Order: sequence, then structure tokens, then C-alpha cells
Amino acid sequence: MGEQTKTSALTGFLAVLYYEFLWNLRKKKIVGLFILVFIIVTLELALPPILDYVNGVTLTPDPNSVTDFFSVNGIFLFLIAVATTMNTISGEFETGSITPLLTKPVSKNTVFWGKIVASFLTLLGIYAFLTIYVTVGAVVIEGTQNNLQLVPLGLIGLTLATMVWASVVIILGTISKNSLVAALGSFGVYIGITIVAAVLGTVYGQTSILFYAPGGGATASTTLCERGVGTTFSTGTDNLGYLLIQLVLNPNTVLNFCGVRISPGGRGEGVQLFTSSSDAMSTVALRALGVSLAYTAVLLLVSWYAFRRSQIIESS
Amino acid sequence: MVVDTPVIQTESLTKSYGSRVAVNRLSLTVEAKQVHGFLGPNGAGKTTTIKMLVGLLRPDSGSLKILGMNAAGDKPKIRERIGYMPELPKFPKHLTGEELLDVYGRMYNIPRETRKQRIPELLKMVGLAERGKDRIGKYSKGMQQRIGIAQALINDPELVILDEPSIGLDPVGMVEVRDMVKGIVKGGQTVFFSSHLLAEVQQVCDHVTIINNGNMLFTGTLEEVSQKAGPNRRLVIEVQKPSDAILQALKALPFATVDSSNSTYTLTLKTKDDVRADVSRAVSGAGGVILRMEEQGGGLEDAFMNLVGKEAQ
Repeated sequence: MGEQTKTSALTGFLAVLYYEFLWNLRKKKIVGLFILVFIIVTLELALPPILDYVNGVTLTPDPNSVTDFFSVNGIFLFLIAVATTMNTISGEFETGSITPLLTKPVSKNTVFWGKIVASFLTLLGIYAFLTIYVTVGAVVIEGTQNNLQLVPLGLIGLTLATMVWASVVIILGTISKNSLVAALGSFGVYIGITIVAAVLGTVYGQTSILFYAPGGGATASTTLCERGVGTTFSTGTDNLGYLLIQLVLNPNTVLNFCGVRISPGGRGEGVQLFTSSSDAMSTVALRALGVSLAYTAVLLLVSWYAFRRSQIIESS
Repeated sequence: MVVDTPVIQTESLTKSYGSRVAVNRLSLTVEAKQVHGFLGPNGAGKTTTIKMLVGLLRPDSGSLKILGMNAAGDKPKIRERIGYMPELPKFPKHLTGEELLDVYGRMYNIPRETRKQRIPELLKMVGLAERGKDRIGKYSKGMQQRIGIAQALINDPELVILDEPSIGLDPVGMVEVRDMVKGIVKGGQTVFFSSHLLAEVQQVCDHVTIINNGNMLFTGTLEEVSQKAGPNRRLVIEVQKPSDAILQALKALPFATVDSSNSTYTLTLKTKDDVRADVSRAVSGAGGVILRMEEQGGGLEDAFMNLVGKEAQ
């Protein structure tokens, strides 16, 4: 027998990261998603000026094109989360590769958290690549961009927002040990939350329940609701990237959340909007950050517990 | 006096799946440098035992020590010193053979230079030198078994645990894997080796433990297990011309009972001694000519059938 080497938690952790990156980089669905996202982003960047040109409209530079990019649709984040993490834990159980992995001198804790950190870094890498592309594209098409120093903050926000959905996928995958259940189950959760939020918003207005739900969350308005809806945007976890940028740019801007009042017998009046609550931008952004971190932490801790308790009964 | 700590030591190790007891109060000792066969029919509890040894399953009760350390549960420090090949191993298909060994080597904190040297050696040893750069997804079942053996040796372990290393292979593959196991044995490592193939265990191991329905039926050396098979050791004689005189002469021998069929006499021996000369004299004395004399049974197969048969009853 040769020289015995001693493993440390750090070397084991780095080895798991390496193992995971090799896997992630070769997932066909990640490569496919990359291509799809690039096509969508390219169209988003190039199509408006092309249409303006075709219609004879004078091109107007948009200096906030890059910062506005971080206000993306939740389904985009959800799909990226699913593609990146649906196999992270469950795939190892499905293929049986968990057996040799867990008999190496790395603890279950190291394997689990190594995989989670690898997922986070993979998401960060995808978004970083995308953001560089968007920034270069926006500068070329829209001209000089404002607040580019805040792009890293938006990037972190976008990644944390995606981690909320990734955590839903991971917990379902860890418990079920099945990638399909992880993907379809989390889609069910996404659709369920979206529908419930829409129903609540229609019946009760932007109720405070929506402040603490994952996803789009409550819709805020920059004007008082009684004066009609002005500029609106989502204040939920999905929009964390944009909110963090606004936290720096406009921390004191007041955001209003509209309630719904239905007049009795309501022939003439019908549905009326009123300002049910107002918060500063800083409060809204920090709340979204806190809610994102709380969901991610709780879901991952439950997943971690389930993973630690798991036993490899079948060889698969 | 230096007393070597057993490499594997279990006391009343028990594991159940629901109401089914997979391993029942197993007390097993494997000393250093042994090549220890773990024998039992399919479903006997071999893989469950091995999974407890390597930390994939938690025992319900009993104690489990590997290399003198408590090994129940998730114990990476112990796994540093073990090499394990699972039954029908499955590895990430997207990795090449070289990458697999490299990434596992990193998990053992094997320095880069050592990995660069050891990986080609291991690939050569298991006959995959030309296929190291191919993805595992393209490997045949036999090649996956081979890379399974290679990864179990990447850390130059003190204890190698192989779970049915030749299961699912064609005869040529089985012989090749057996030769690889013999190669490991020459390296001086302790080998714990499960199989349901008696010939394989007989050829490779010096100690054997027989298990069935989760119960340990026997543990000891191959010689000891052969003694267990004493009642079934037979001597089969074919003579040129059978006669009553020959039959009577054989029946007169105190150490055997005789059955005859045409020109063949089967003596079931009650002794462990070599009695071929006595038998030969008895046949010659009765005017017979021996064409063939063959000893049958008395090996691992008979012992196994005896023990497992008794269990079944």
C-alpha cells in the first residue's frame, strides 16, 4: 500500500464542485437552454430597433436598457432553475452513481452543499455570460448605458431569485429521488403560486400575503392607486435583481400597493382601487431579499436533512 | 506481543427492511491480509452487509468496526482507507474513464502528480488503457465492471471490498475479472469479496463466510469449510468388469458406504484421509481392474449446499 493521503473538508468540497461542474457543463438541456436564451435575448435586443427602422420611427436610445434587463419574467427564472438543478440530487439516485460517490471520503454534508454551491455558481456563470452579452449588445444598439456599476448587484439578485425556484426543484428531487417529479412537481408549484397570487390580487388587491410569497409577489405602483395606476412592477422574489438596483438608485421612492373595493349594488361605481399600503423602495427591496433568502434557506435545509437521512437500499 | 486489529469486525449486526430481516445478528471478523469470500445465494444479505460496511446503510443494531474504528453511518475518515466496488457499478456517463478516476482521486486528496501516474497504471491493469478517453456511457457492462475495479484501487486502499465483481459478465469476462482480483490479492491488501459463485471464491479466497437469509452459517478457512462437507466426499470408481466380489470387497471397507451402477461404484467416504490406495487394493484383490478413479465433492460446493440446505429445512 502506498502513501496514505488525508482528505480535508475543503479538498473534498472542491472535488465535489469539480465533479458537479463537469456534469453541468455537459448537460444537453443546459446547452440547449443557453442557446434558446441567447436567441430570445438577441431578439429582445435587436427586434425593437429593427421594427422602428422598418416603420420609419426615429431610433431613441434607451440608457437604462441594461438595468431594465434584470426585471425578467418569472417563468424565465423558473426554467433556468429547472434545467440547472432537476438532476442535481435525484439524477445521482436515478442513475445509481450516488453509490460510488457516497463511498468516497467525502461526507454527505460535503456532497450536498458542494452540489448546491455548484448549482449557485453555475447559475451565476450563466447569468454573468448573459449579462455581458446584454451589456455589449445594449451599448452597441442603444448607446451609452447608465449605472453599469450596478450590474453585478443585479446579477447577484437574479441568481438569488433563481435559487428560490431551484430550491423548490431540489427539495422535490431529494425527497422523491426522481428528476421528473422534481421538474413537474416544481412546475405545479410555480403554476399554483402564480394562479393563487393572481386570484388574490383580483379579489383582495395587492394583499400583504403576496409580500411573503415566492414568485412575482405583489405589484407596486409609483403613483397613488386612487389617481390611476402609474408605472407598475413586481415586488416579489422573481424581480430581486431589479429591486436591488432600485434599492441603490431610488431607495426613498414610495411604492403603493392597491386594494380592491367592490361597490355594493355597484352599477355605476363597479370596482374601485385604493391605496391599501405604501412602502419605501428600500423596504420593498430588502423584504424581497429576505423572503428569497428565507425560502432558499428553509427549502435547502429540509433537502439537506432528507439527503442525510437517505439510505442507498437498491443498486439502481 | 503485537495483536493485529481485525480489519472488519461486526457484532450482532442487524438490518431490516420493514418486517423482513435482511441481516440478522451477524458477527463477522476479517483479519488483515485475508482474502475473505462472502458467500451466499442471491438475496442472502451480502449486499446489505457490505452497504453497512461502507456506510451506505445504517445498521438497526449491533456494532461495526473497520480498521479498529466505529464505522456505522457516514464516516469519511474510514472510507479514506477503503476501496469499494459496488455490485453492477454505475458511474456518471458523461465522464470519461480517466476523468472518473481523476475526480475520485481528487476526493481522496491524491496529489496531481500521483494521479497522473496512477490512473494510466490502473487503466492498464483493468485492460482499459485504450479506452480511458472514452465516455463511460459508451462502455460495455464488462468495461464498467473493470473501471469499477480501477476506481476501487485509486487510493491504494488497505481494505478492498468487492461486491459480486463478476456478476452479469460472460465467461471470458468472469475469468478476466477473477484474474484482476488475484492481481489485487498479490498486492497484499485485505480483500473482502462477495459472490454467489462458489468456484470463484474457491479459486481466490483463503477464508470464507457463508450467509443465507441474513444468518451467518459458517465462517472460517477454506479447509475448515471442506471439513464441514466431509459426509459428502465421494470416490467414484469405474471398473473394467463389475462383479459381486468387487462389491463385497468394497462394502467390507470400514470407511465408506457403497452404491453400484453398472460398472461404476460410488463410495461415500466417512473419513477425511486419502483412501485411494486402500480402495485400489480392495478392487485388485477381488480380481477387478480399475479404469478410472475420481474424487468428488467435499469442497466448498458441498459445504455450501449442506449449510444452505439445512437452513432451508
